Amino acid sequence: MMKTFSIGGIHPSDSKISKDCKIEVLPVPSKVFISVAQHLGAPATPIVKAGDQVKVGQVIAEPAGFISAYVHSSVSGTVKSVGPRKDLAGNNVTHIEIDVEGDEWAEGIDLSDTLVTEIPSDNKAILEKIKMNGVVGLGGATFPAHVKLCPPPGKKADCLILNGAECEPYLTSDYRIMLERSKEIVIGAAIMKQVLGGCPAVIGIEENKPEAIKAMSAAVAELGYPGISVMTLKKKYPQGGEKQLIDAVMGRQVKSMGLPIDVGAVVQNVATSLAVYEAVQKNMPLITNVLTVTGDCLPMDKQHNYKFRIGMPLSYIAEVAGGVPEAAAKIISGGPMMGKAIANMDATTVKGSSSLLYLTAEQTVRGVESACIRCGKCAEACPMGLEPFLLQKYARNGMMDELEENAVQDCIECGCCLYSCPANIPLLDIIRLAKGDVIRIIRGRSAK
Amino acid sequence: MDKLLVSPSPHLHTKTSTKSLMRDVVIALLPAVVVSVLFYGWSELLVLGVSVASCVLLEYLITKYLLKGTCTVGDWSAVITGVLLALNLPATTPWWVVFIGAVVAIGVAKMTFGGLGQNLFNPAIVGRVFLLISFPTYMTDWTKPQGFIGNFDAYTGATPLGIAKEGGVAAIEGLDYMDMLFMNIGGSAGELSAIALLAGFVYLLARKVIRPYITVSIWVTVAVFSGIFWAINPAEYTDPIFNLLTGGLLLGSIFMATDYVTSPMSNWGGVVFGVGIGLITMLIRYFGAYPEGVSFAILIMNSVVPLLNKWFHAKKYGRA
Amino acid sequence: MTTTIIWTIAILTVLGALLAVVLYVVAEKFKVEEDPRIDEVEKVLPGANCGGCGQAGCRAFAQFCVESSPNLDKCFCPVGGNDGMQKVAAVLGVEVAAKDPQVAVVRCNGTCENRPRTNEYGGYQSCRVKAALYSGDTGCSFGCLGCGDCVAACQFGAISMDPATGLPVVDEEKCTACGACVKACPKNIIELRNKGRRNMRVFVSCVNKDKGGVARKACKAACIGCGKCAKVCPFEAITVENNVAYIDFTKCKLCKKCVAECPTGAIHAVNFPVIKPKEE
Repeated sequence: MMKTFSIGGIHPSDSKISKDCKIEVLPVPSKVFISVAQHLGAPATPIVKAGDQVKVGQVIAEPAGFISAYVHSSVSGTVKSVGPRKDLAGNNVTHIEIDVEGDEWAEGIDLSDTLVTEIPSDNKAILEKIKMNGVVGLGGATFPAHVKLCPPPGKKADCLILNGAECEPYLTSDYRIMLERSKEIVIGAAIMKQVLGGCPAVIGIEENKPEAIKAMSAAVAELGYPGISVMTLKKKYPQGGEKQLIDAVMGRQVKSMGLPIDVGAVVQNVATSLAVYEAVQKNMPLITNVLTVTGDCLPMDKQHNYKFRIGMPLSYIAEVAGGVPEAAAKIISGGPMMGKAIANMDATTVKGSSSLLYLTAEQTVRGVESACIRCGKCAEACPMGLEPFLLQKYARNGMMDELEENAVQDCIECGCCLYSCPANIPLLDIIRLAKGDVIRIIRGRSAK
Repeated sequence: MDKLLVSPSPHLHTKTSTKSLMRDVVIALLPAVVVSVLFYGWSELLVLGVSVASCVLLEYLITKYLLKGTCTVGDWSAVITGVLLALNLPATTPWWVVFIGAVVAIGVAKMTFGGLGQNLFNPAIVGRVFLLISFPTYMTDWTKPQGFIGNFDAYTGATPLGIAKEGGVAAIEGLDYMDMLFMNIGGSAGELSAIALLAGFVYLLARKVIRPYITVSIWVTVAVFSGIFWAINPAEYTDPIFNLLTGGLLLGSIFMATDYVTSPMSNWGGVVFGVGIGLITMLIRYFGAYPEGVSFAILIMNSVVPLLNKWFHAKKYGRA
Repeated sequence: MTTTIIWTIAILTVLGALLAVVLYVVAEKFKVEEDPRIDEVEKVLPGANCGGCGQAGCRAFAQFCVESSPNLDKCFCPVGGNDGMQKVAAVLGVEVAAKDPQVAVVRCNGTCENRPRTNEYGGYQSCRVKAALYSGDTGCSFGCLGCGDCVAACQFGAISMDPATGLPVVDEEKCTACGACVKACPKNIIELRNKGRRNMRVFVSCVNKDKGGVARKACKAACIGCGKCAKVCPFEAITVENNVAYIDFTKCKLCKKCVAECPTGAIHAVNFPVIKPKEE
């Protein structure tokens, strides 16, 4: 029987419209704006100033803390300015504006197509390369990869899980790289596996992507690294959630407020694996990624999977892809379940950008909220086994103790509750805030 | 679209709405409604019509003029209450008695608690029990009116359960279970055909409107409880199949005990709730003054639901 | 028949007496010793339990007053105001200094007209939810979000949303300066300011920290941080920091010179008598 996570989950239509569109390389625009906050944790500190000449792959911002990451220039040219610019949510974030001139790459980067299968033996050097090349988790949270690959003392990894579930509807970027860059992903997995002390690696892919399963299995067999396998998972959202994937693959559950490494798991996205390969084997910094341009309101010829460079304005990408469709009411960066609605199309791509998804008003406008009929569909759907109807009631009344007792801090914000509520109650909107408040209270208590 | 829409995730939403769920319940009730109208004819049609119309009208008037809030008639919940109330009454019930039942169901049991989602007790059952206590003569008049099809007058005057209560097990000898499965011999409209009710149950399960825990645990409890007593003394106690097929057990266990608002939300809570209903029903049937006890059992267990919701929670991820 | 009645009366009497004893014993055993002055202070408090004093409610505030007596400097009930505090002081037999009465002031003039909408918000109507999601449905990432968290927070019905402007309006008569709205506003737009002489106040109705050009593009009534007001102020009451001006209400002498100087009309003067133009 195919494996999946044990609690809750939903089955939205997978809508992988753009799955057969090959990855195309986006032309470089005349100007890019590179954000210094492309990862979870402290924004990086810019080390260039207006007037500086930069090359592709040159470091332009340094990590400002343990959980932070290097940012590299994605183009060559002149730094025009360093200052605040609005991100896709409309908030001010420091961006480095670069006028593009030519395409000159920094030294030491291997630009050839040759596949490098031999893995260096020095784990420290590997981790240093991953860190110096600014690799972050590309599954959504953009957590710096080298931090995750160094288990704290006393903890050991039993299994490296590569997340190829891509359970979000519409997104096809991971699917495309699994088809087109399968070998690189497997080598990336072998590198991470070695760094983690040689634990087995499992590549989890949902059953609705048979070709990806085939391609990855073939790559694993051909390259012949020991201890790497492909596991077919049942289609269910949120399969790609870290905690759900660990449950599905290893049958273990991470404790409340705990980390995956507590149960011996390290989860990395397949796109991260590819970035690790590029960083370690080719010394290529993370300045490109693949994003999907899709939506039901786009004709087939305007569906794309693009390899983009960081710092490209979203409006530019939309333009190259054939313009924003008339029927689009909402544009989302990321999947329709957990992605962010874009308020500002002048915002630019970041390392973790995964899509430009156009949704029509009919698809996305929420219905009018009505009374809770206590059907329990939200509790049935919650993959963490929470009771959202109860949590939202406590949250609206500011009952912090009850919220903590009922584990609001375990919420993974997957959106299953709001998706399945027949009364259109804004469950997650309310619970998300309460979760933040309760986590602050818990942290404050343990700090004492 | 000139301005982009921005809202927190998720950006997709299920097509299921309160309205569609309620409409599915009405659809599931249709077979039972059709059977009852066919067998009881115009008088059943009158009871149904008066019941549904007055429930909907009362809800409309109360939400609009008394509570001055949003009108909730569009969500079909009043229609369900109306149909269930009608299916719980004899076809001979006078229209004004039906109307009083609707007033109690919607006005007292639903709206005084705050409307949909707030009521502690199932409105249709409150209406029925109120009528049963206030108008016992009308409520136990099982004279069979002329139907559109079929003609059977073997047991007119009493329900099988009533006969068993009066005359003991011997009195119901010769009762054909196949008859009961397809067209019951006496009783309120909703008790007529087990097959029609079971068809509704299958539909509700298939459409994922309800989960089977409550209903099945009621059946199991009733079967086990009556099975034990029947095995010990078959001359004194009625058998399990009789108890499952007669009275309002199927109607109650499929459509009324599973009412979202008045049943527990967790699966285990639902099992306990069902076991409670099954036990109380059988205690009333075997030892109580009334021949039938499903309505009372559901009402009593309704009052325990808040406790069950507090005691039984879903299994949480990563917590033993 | 008679015996039944007699028995009933007898049993109930005995039962009543027994239970009375039980109640008495329990009440004595679990009696809580409290300073009787707490009750007295609580009686003269408004009883709104708004928490504006910083305590959990009126009872907690009464206890706090009794504990900090004779020095009541840290105790102030904004709802009761100076009169209320005089009463509390009288109960405790101490003196208390009068404080300047305050009122909540909304420092945003981003009306629908001044600040055009750039996108449409479709989530839960709550400023906190909206603020956590993004900068808001206008070009200004500092201004009022208009979902009315302040209105919901006010227990005195003193704030309402003006549908024409999309901004909250404070009813000065009803406002008790309890500060609930100040805490509720995720954008820190509402401020408690001294009511001022005859209720006259001058304040900067903007908190936008963007550079002048950006702020002005987002909202016609934005403070652009030009500093003209600070230069013209004779009392050094105005400071410009992070591209936004702020008027210190303890230093402002209500001369209104800044109001005339402000190029965007971001400085508001309220409750000043309307001066009829002199006939020449």
